[in-house]
Amino acid sequence: MASRIVIDPVTRIEGHLRVEIEVRDGAVVDAYSSGTMVRGLEIILKGRDPRDAWVFAQRTCGVCTTVHALASVRTVEDALGIAVPPNAELIRNLMMCAQYMQDHVVHFYHLHALDWVDILGAVKADPQSASALAQKISDWPLSSAAYFAGIRKRLQTFIDSGQLGIFANGYWGHQAYRLPPEANLLFAAHYLEALAWQKEVVKIHSIFGGKNPHPDYLVGGVPCAINLDEANCLNAQRLAYVGTLLDEARNFVERVYLPDVLALASYYKEWCGFGGGLSNYMAYGDLPVRGYGDPSGFRFPRGIVLERNLGELLPIDGRDAAQVQEQVARSWYRYSDGDEGSRHPWEGQTELAYTGPNPPYEHLDVAGKYSWIKTPRWKGRPMEVGPLARILVAYAAGSTDVREAVHEALQRLGLPLESLYSTIGRTLARALETRLIARWAQEFYRDLRDNIARGDVSTFNGARWDPATWPPEARGVGMSEAPRGALAHWIVIRDQKIANYQLVVPSTWNASPRDSRGQMSAYEAALIGTPVADPEKPLEVLRTIHSFDPCIACAVHLYDERGRSLHRCTIM
Amino acid sequence: MGKSRKDAVLVLGIGNLLMGDEGVGIHAVRRLECSALPPRTEVLDGGTGGFHLLSCFREYGRIILVDAALDGRPPGTVTVLRPRFASDFPRALSAHDVGLRDLVESASLLGPLPEIVLVTVSIAQAQSMCTELSPAVASSLPRVSAAVLSLLEGRGSPICPAGSAGGSGSRCSRRVTGNRRSASRRGGSPRRN
Repeated sequence: MASRIVIDPVTRIEGHLRVEIEVRDGAVVDAYSSGTMVRGLEIILKGRDPRDAWVFAQRTCGVCTTVHALASVRTVEDALGIAVPPNAELIRNLMMCAQYMQDHVVHFYHLHALDWVDILGAVKADPQSASALAQKISDWPLSSAAYFAGIRKRLQTFIDSGQLGIFANGYWGHQAYRLPPEANLLFAAHYLEALAWQKEVVKIHSIFGGKNPHPDYLVGGVPCAINLDEANCLNAQRLAYVGTLLDEARNFVERVYLPDVLALASYYKEWCGFGGGLSNYMAYGDLPVRGYGDPSGFRFPRGIVLERNLGELLPIDGRDAAQVQEQVARSWYRYSDGDEGSRHPWEGQTELAYTGPNPPYEHLDVAGKYSWIKTPRWKGRPMEVGPLARILVAYAAGSTDVREAVHEALQRLGLPLESLYSTIGRTLARALETRLIARWAQEFYRDLRDNIARGDVSTFNGARWDPATWPPEARGVGMSEAPRGALAHWIVIRDQKIANYQLVVPSTWNASPRDSRGQMSAYEAALIGTPVADPEKPLEVLRTIHSFDPCIACAVHLYDERGRSLHRCTIM
Repeated sequence: MGKSRKDAVLVLGIGNLLMGDEGVGIHAVRRLECSALPPRTEVLDGGTGGFHLLSCFREYGRIILVDAALDGRPPGTVTVLRPRFASDFPRALSAHDVGLRDLVESASLLGPLPEIVLVTVSIAQAQSMCTELSPAVASSLPRVSAAVLSLLEGRGSPICPAGSAGGSGSRCSRRVTGNRRSASRRGGSPRRN
């Protein structure tokens, strides 16, 4: 008999996600992923000035800050035919790289790692063994036995206080934890180091955009003036500080984060056999080197891999009505011409129509509509987006950077290419791309400095700023690669105001419910076959969900002010 | 950027200005910014800053935290205490927030904590999409200012007179309500280490 398990809320993610799974004979046989919140940003944006759209759109999420602002300004620039100056492209790239590095490192240590690392097991470790392990995997200097003894003591004191605090409610001691004690202690130490480090690299956002989260963007460029000698501009001192922050970031990524992920993969090789899911991968691509108008110059190439065929890369056109479409067959929305239909975002509709149960409830009606997330499809096919998709698309595109990074890692681990199609593969892809980004960021920085040295300080193209220069109607699409995957906004501008605005975000692709043909999206597909040793502690399920780095973005809260849950986790 | 702040006091307000009474900590520090403060005092609107505020715990030798608390006391009750346990800190009000408790616990894992005094204003609920305080909570602001200023002037612990063991783990607190208790300890409290 299958048992139905509910995990709600899924913690250590961004936003509000509920997962219902059926387990039979110790493995997941069916899965339903539900986004349990909605805010209606698309409704909020209607009627506003397109030049303001990025401000609102960016508030979609503070964890993946910057990404929606970038997609938004590109959308409007696409609609109005605006090309931004090279310095603005470089600064946008640098802001994106800073976001990636912080986001991925935080995700691994503070959101994902505790699925693999038993924090309570760390206090049993011998500091000498931890030191030996640390020095074997990296030359990072914080690696002495005394250092690890100090960490172990701090953790012990924390645990002895009786209240596990930020480590409360974990599945400590679960049989699926496989790390030896010294590895637990090593990761625990790095968890703390990453917590202290992660606030540094995002200072780059403050330098270029005024603050973090939610730095400023600008249709036509970036809102920072460059003048090496002026106190109130992007000057020599601030520019130098950006360089320092990038060096420190690369240092941390190359000597702590990536070695840790490789070490983790070596202990959990059997997890190369779970969590693969879909066979189609999509990347809009990003990080232009010859301007956003030339995708052939993107560091992350644009394209689609179908059926895991890395020998062929298919093109994507966001303007083609037959390619990207959204469905609401299993989502709480109404389409004016029937809920079984599929709409390109320029014809997108966002009419909220909740037909789910009133809380508190035991189960969603998974035979009907069960999520606030719409279901996107590319030519009717489900797509995985995110680090794994980017790596595979780049691989298929022949990117030498990516191929080298992939081959080196797999060789070191003694794993075949197919192992990438898994939970560990996705986690490894995230680390590999971060290392590449750390290097690319330094190149963008060097290019920016070179431009400025040549006397180019332009950061804004104001030719189409004035609405009087706009046509009566214009349509645009802006594409980007957010840390979690392919991101695009679509806009229809009419009479100088937003007539329609649609966001199709990475977690829309990955976390959506089934489509009208019953095809699963990435989370649901990836969960099938996941072992579940103890239905009361579905740690293994969390491993795969977290490997996607969900970002559902928050709105409705599931708890009242006193922490009383409005939903309960129950097992049938 | 490099100035040592170890001998400075930080008055740090925490809260969400958009959630009515939940933002009382922010209203309080904004009011304090307009007051005459002793030297080496800094005031920070920490907002819902979460882990961005971790660096404050490393930089300052003393922090006075001001925050709302859902503690069941009459709304507007001002409580001053030196927290001894994580449970002394108000919990986060939603599954999503990084609350004060999480922040302090993380800071304690990263290194020694500064001296912390916690000033809370009791609230009955957070109001959505509202920047105003309810009357009871708004009336607490002068008392919050007074409590913080007296802490700053005395620069000492407001609680646990010298020699007191503090009981078996119970927290020591002085409640400043509309009916003031004896003010005998004001300004004369011996410094704790």
